[in-house]
Amino acid sequence: MATHAPVTDSVVNSAPRRLVLEVLHDWVTTVDHKKIGLMYIGYALIFLVIAGFEALLMRVQLSIPNNHFVSPQVFNQLFTMHGTTMVFFVGMPVLFGFGNYLIPLMIGARDMAFPRLNAFSFWIASFGGLLLYFSYLGGSGLYGAGSAPDVGWFAYAPLTAHVFSPGHSTDYWTLAILLSGIGSIGTALNIVTTIICMRCPGMKLNRMPLLVWLYLVMSCLVFVTVSPLTAAQIMLMLDRYLGSHFFDTQAGGSAVLWMHFFWIFGHPEVYVLILPSFAFANEIIPVYSRKAIFGYPAMVAASVGIGFISLSVWAHHMFTVGMGAGANTFFTLATMIISVPTGIKIFNWLATLWGGKIHFTASMMFAVGFLFQFLIAGLTGIMLSVAPFDWQLSASYFVVAHFHYVLVGAILFILFAAFYYWYPKMTGRLLSEKLGKWHFWIFLIGFHLTFDFMHIPGLEGMPRRIYTYEADRGWMMWNMIVSSGAIFQTIGTLLFVYNMVWSFIKGPIAGPDPWDAWTLEWSTTSPPPHYNFAIIPTVESRRPLWDLKHPDDPDSHYE
Amino acid sequence: MTEPGKGDAVQDEYPTSDPNAVLLPQPTAWPLVLALGISLIMAGMVTNVAVGILGLLLSVAGSFGWFFQVLPHEAHESVPVTGEEIRSVSTRTLMEREHRHPESATPRKILPVETFRITTGIRGGIAGGIAMIVPATIFSLLKYHSIWYAMNLLAAGGFVSWAGASDTFLSQFHLQGLLAGLLIHGLTSLLVGLLYGAMLPMFPRYPIVTAGFMAPLLFTGILYSALGIVSPILNQRIDWFWFIMSQIAFGLVCGFVVNLQTRVRTPQFQALPFAVRAGLHSDQDERTHQTPTNTDEKGISK
Ligand code: HEM
Ligand SMILES: [Cu+2]
Repeated sequence: MATHAPVTDSVVNSAPRRLVLEVLHDWVTTVDHKKIGLMYIGYALIFLVIAGFEALLMRVQLSIPNNHFVSPQVFNQLFTMHGTTMVFFVGMPVLFGFGNYLIPLMIGARDMAFPRLNAFSFWIASFGGLLLYFSYLGGSGLYGAGSAPDVGWFAYAPLTAHVFSPGHSTDYWTLAILLSGIGSIGTALNIVTTIICMRCPGMKLNRMPLLVWLYLVMSCLVFVTVSPLTAAQIMLMLDRYLGSHFFDTQAGGSAVLWMHFFWIFGHPEVYVLILPSFAFANEIIPVYSRKAIFGYPAMVAASVGIGFISLSVWAHHMFTVGMGAGANTFFTLATMIISVPTGIKIFNWLATLWGGKIHFTASMMFAVGFLFQFLIAGLTGIMLSVAPFDWQLSASYFVVAHFHYVLVGAILFILFAAFYYWYPKMTGRLLSEKLGKWHFWIFLIGFHLTFDFMHIPGLEGMPRRIYTYEADRGWMMWNMIVSSGAIFQTIGTLLFVYNMVWSFIKGPIAGPDPWDAWTLEWSTTSPPPHYNFAIIPTVESRRPLWDLKHPDDPDSHYE
Repeated sequence: MTEPGKGDAVQDEYPTSDPNAVLLPQPTAWPLVLALGISLIMAGMVTNVAVGILGLLLSVAGSFGWFFQVLPHEAHESVPVTGEEIRSVSTRTLMEREHRHPESATPRKILPVETFRITTGIRGGIAGGIAMIVPATIFSLLKYHSIWYAMNLLAAGGFVSWAGASDTFLSQFHLQGLLAGLLIHGLTSLLVGLLYGAMLPMFPRYPIVTAGFMAPLLFTGILYSALGIVSPILNQRIDWFWFIMSQIAFGLVCGFVVNLQTRVRTPQFQALPFAVRAGLHSDQDERTHQTPTNTDEKGISK
């Protein structure tokens, strides 16, 4: 098989510069999965910078005791906006972006199943983000109270009731998340349909790249989890404006009901974020180890297993509300069980690395960081899953350290790996390896300074979400270290941004297949033409490009 | 597995008579308009009715526009196919290999040709779990003159109300205790077996060593440090000597059972020459149990 595609250096656009308006029109009206994927990624990166800046402000405030760098009100808004933005307007869109871009290419299709729904989902999610931030201007509403939402990213009742949260700030939060939820459901639907219906000839389910499998599981999780969240948001709106009492304990409602609704969404949601990270690892680690992934069927089974189990652990976020011994035991056990399929995955990645000829590119370095840090994050998770232990540490900085270890140490690290790996496919140019390695080491130092040491004030009893603290608590030094790590992370991220911009203009031309990889996206030009493949490919194994490159010894003999 | 969803649909959906063009969905702004409309309806709820009305209008317009994009016929644009053929070649290995190892038929090293099924680990776990009961029962009999003590102690980990129970209470028979104990014990044995099964392909050579000593050692070490937190009740009363004995019983039997199982031939087996498959020749130099590799760069110095 060979594909027709434009000459490689057509990346260097020799045609006369088109009007800015014309280019803009192209992007605004596009239904092409690649452009939509890139818009998702770009939009997520903008919000990443915004929410990262909010985190920096918080760290400045907490770096020394009795600080008044920002006001308590602003501090509450900062952690609410930071959490909400990072989960709904950075994590989800960037992962959907990569999925949008890669899935059709990997299964040999020309577009997603519903190209217009794809555009719709992107736009509605992005308007959700804009609406959230518009609250800074419009949040005061009729009462002139409040501005941006300040109820925390999980918005526990009764803090969200109208009496405690007058004005419209909480409504902005609710509506923004509703909009983002519509987009998520739309894109998830698109991904599932595309994977089921659009695979190229020969791409059986058991030949799909693992990335595609993981996105399938992730999208199914989105269906089951966003629905309860949406329901809860609508109930909250009814409570706030039409006088219903779902979450109003004074009138026979239940605040714990909100917690159940939120976490039945919230826990699977963290798996919605981690599954695509596994997906990237599954593609990147084998290619740089020069080996096929170890234990493909076990990986698929473990992914599906994680999908199911993650639906049954939500109340480990609620050990402190007094659910009773039975529920505590159940959710402790269920949470611990999830470490079995997760362990299988880790072993399989190690077995893939084992004996391979490892190429330590920047991408691979981030992937190895991911493996190591994900392991530690899983271990602190298991610690927290033990109810009596959690009673001590719930809502402390230990929890904050745990989930940032996952979200930054695992998800963000593998995202960086994914950027170094697929950037050449998306733009046609390689990122600078040298800058990439600087980025890795600086970010690694920053990450460990911040999040390793964040566990300690947690163990010493520092609660999360406090505005400031007294000097005699013994938390001072730790907070100083934690905040200084943030500086390193900022520098690392700036290097990365610089690398992306510089390489876009000056980077070496990548060619169709710079990493000598095996999945279909590398069989077309970089960037791929509008139609992806001039001739729809036919595949005979899990590594179609291996078969092409080694016609004398194809994989299909072995599977 | 069946063969669902072959993607010929892609080609059928956009048939084209011109071999040098591909039909793709036409760009359109209507989805954007609908999204903006719905967003403004939402925003209208927190700002001003006028915003909401504008949103409603845009939503209606967007829906109609979108309808006419797909009904009665989906709108397409024809994109010309440009450019030349690209060929996928592996720059790293192909040429060098042919150069230096003209006699080697495959660029890959063969994975372990034989390994264990993951179910082997589960079977080992079950057998080990049963074996563990023996030392646990001996311990109960010797120390408390009742065969139920160990079982009840395990169950007490799950029942908060048994926290302060006396030794006499724990020595009596309780159906509840039996069931809970069996459940906890069975589940743990199964899971440890499963995890072990997943690790087996990495240590296929001496399962009895890994299973018999390494696994119990690790497991006991972890438990020893963590039990105080996981189950304080168990921690107070546990007798570490007997506990370790039952761990080792588990490990030895588990390893023994695993050893009994025949190894399965991986698909890589087919790749061996016929003489080896038929058992006429040894495949020793091809077998690499310690390093399950099929790297494509083996033997090629770069
Ligand atoms: C082996 C896996 C994991 C286990 C056993 C685990 C366990 C836990 C437990 C018990 C808590 C509740 C702590 C508390 O609030 O008192 C928690 C919180 C949290 N975990 Fe994990 N976790 C695991 C993996 C993950 C992953 C993969 C993610 C993200 C992708 C994640 C993100 C979070 C978040 C965001 C919170 C805190 C939510 C909040 O209170 O704001 N966890 N985890
Ligand atoms: Cu959770």
